[in-house]
Amino acid sequence: MSQTMPSARQRRLRTWIFWAVPVLLLLLPLATNPYTQFIANGMLVSVLVTLGFTLTIGNLGQLAFANTAFFGIGAYASAILAAKLGVPWLLTIPLAGAFGALGGFLASAAALRGIRSYYLAIITLAFGELMRWGYTHFSPLTGGTDGTPMPRETLFGISLTDDTLKFYVFLGVTVLLVKGTLNLLRSRFGRAVMAVRENEIATASLAIPTSRVILVTFMWSGFVVGCAGALFARHVGHVFPESFGMLHLIASFAMVLVGGLGSVLGSVLGAVLLTALPEYLRAFPGMEELFFGLIVAGVLVLMPMGLASLLRRLSPIFVERHYREAP
Amino acid sequence: MLMQLTLGGLSQGMIYALIALSLTVVYRSTTVVNFGHGDFVMAGAFLSYVLVVLLGVAFVPAAVLAMAAMFVLGVMFNRGLIRPIRGGPHIGLALMCIAAGYLLRGIARMVWGREVLPMPPVFDMAPIFVGDLVITGDAVFIIGTVLVLLLIFFGLLAMTDLGKMVQAVYQSPRGARLIGLNVDRFNDFSWGIGAALGALGGILVAPVSLLHPDLGASFLIKGFAAMTLGGFGSLGGAVLGGVLLGVAEQYAGAYIDSALIEITAYVVIVAVLFIRPQGLFGRKAVVKV
Repeated sequence: MSQTMPSARQRRLRTWIFWAVPVLLLLLPLATNPYTQFIANGMLVSVLVTLGFTLTIGNLGQLAFANTAFFGIGAYASAILAAKLGVPWLLTIPLAGAFGALGGFLASAAALRGIRSYYLAIITLAFGELMRWGYTHFSPLTGGTDGTPMPRETLFGISLTDDTLKFYVFLGVTVLLVKGTLNLLRSRFGRAVMAVRENEIATASLAIPTSRVILVTFMWSGFVVGCAGALFARHVGHVFPESFGMLHLIASFAMVLVGGLGSVLGSVLGAVLLTALPEYLRAFPGMEELFFGLIVAGVLVLMPMGLASLLRRLSPIFVERHYREAP
Repeated sequence: MLMQLTLGGLSQGMIYALIALSLTVVYRSTTVVNFGHGDFVMAGAFLSYVLVVLLGVAFVPAAVLAMAAMFVLGVMFNRGLIRPIRGGPHIGLALMCIAAGYLLRGIARMVWGREVLPMPPVFDMAPIFVGDLVITGDAVFIIGTVLVLLLIFFGLLAMTDLGKMVQAVYQSPRGARLIGLNVDRFNDFSWGIGAALGALGGILVAPVSLLHPDLGASFLIKGFAAMTLGGFGSLGGAVLGGVLLGVAEQYAGAYIDSALIEITAYVVIVAVLFIRPQGLFGRKAVVKV
């Protein structure tokens, strides 16, 4: 299936839509109650988690499951910096991102060592579980199973327990990182990422430094997810080791797949759709697992390229230049 | 002390060996690594619980029944969910396996909630004392069952036509198809055997541990560690890797720190993949352009 690229007019329209969405979202707190506002904040966190995840498994095409680890590293970095060292939370966001990027560096070190495909999946799973073991066993730093509470803090004179204030900060961070990722993917670098996914050896033969492409993609993925971790720490107010287990991993998978592997638009859609629904299932034991399991299995069989592929068929406006479907 | 630890490690290691072997059976025939395998193990344990405790079936027939049920489930999973996406990327296959695992886990949790179920001891034999060494009935039972099973498995592989067919498909599925082997049915069969052997792992640990829906996750990692250690894709390597891992866990737990038992497997995975990715018995992967 050949894709029609959007015309100049459609591209302008798309830019308008891109900026109109966050501007309209500024009004959202007028329409929400405290509970729905909390959910909306959770959606923004999920958008970043999904975005970072799809970068490595969708865009770069590597079977790396370390994103839950990056998320935990970011959240713990933020909580420990804020609680133990008194760093203002806003400042911990880029710092948590840096720690996440460090995690990404480690994961890419595995990938560059020739550990690929299933090996990479297994070693990154082990990495995630090792981190989780660390959260519970290095209790002087992490608080063990009790976790680390976020300290009370004010921002612009408002307490950071206020969900509306959090929403605006989260929205700002999300827009910055989504735009940054889009720009990255649209650049020469983004085309190199796509080329590595399609055929790494052929890419290397074009004198594109594939190792560097893999390294930077993993680090950027870690950065985005690490920042998401810092937002998450503030979002729930208390960081526990259990938040970064396997259920988080399958939830992120589901979001990535429902939206469409490798699509920025898709990761936003997937995250928004799948953050709200499971809230209603939480009361019934086992339903969350069943729900995500069914979603992932169903999407894989029926709609392997996710919602983004449906939208692409609907209008060229939704065609992302950095992503081409296999013919 | 050392002997006691070795015995404990052997009986754990036998379970890991079984799980690693069942993962390898599926991997070698279909090149799919079953990331939901831990939950197949869990399902085996729960099925035997239902049969033994709720329906009052004796342990051995219950184990056979549970394995048969898991065989069917494995075949159904391959036909219904894996085959439609066979041609797609590996990411899809890995995710499908994870999804299947979560479905099983969800079902278990839906029925049993957050309860932790104790299974009655099966082998209520009085422990045997050999000097300082205490040999429990469970250890004898687990090690014995797995050894017999391994003998049958490798015997079949080495001495029958079925074994030749397995070799043919492992070497080249396409070639095997060309000479008239029904590779699709063979893959169904492998998934069935893989699921049944994995389930047996769960059935064997059920009497010596508590049952809960998340039981499988750690076994999956142990299975991977055993496979990686022995050489990914090698049947014999998987078994030896499992036994070594079981013993190593006990030693690390006793001589260094008991908290290390949980993470020995992860450390093994990371260390082996960085230092000697082909494992102890695997062949070095060569990428041909």
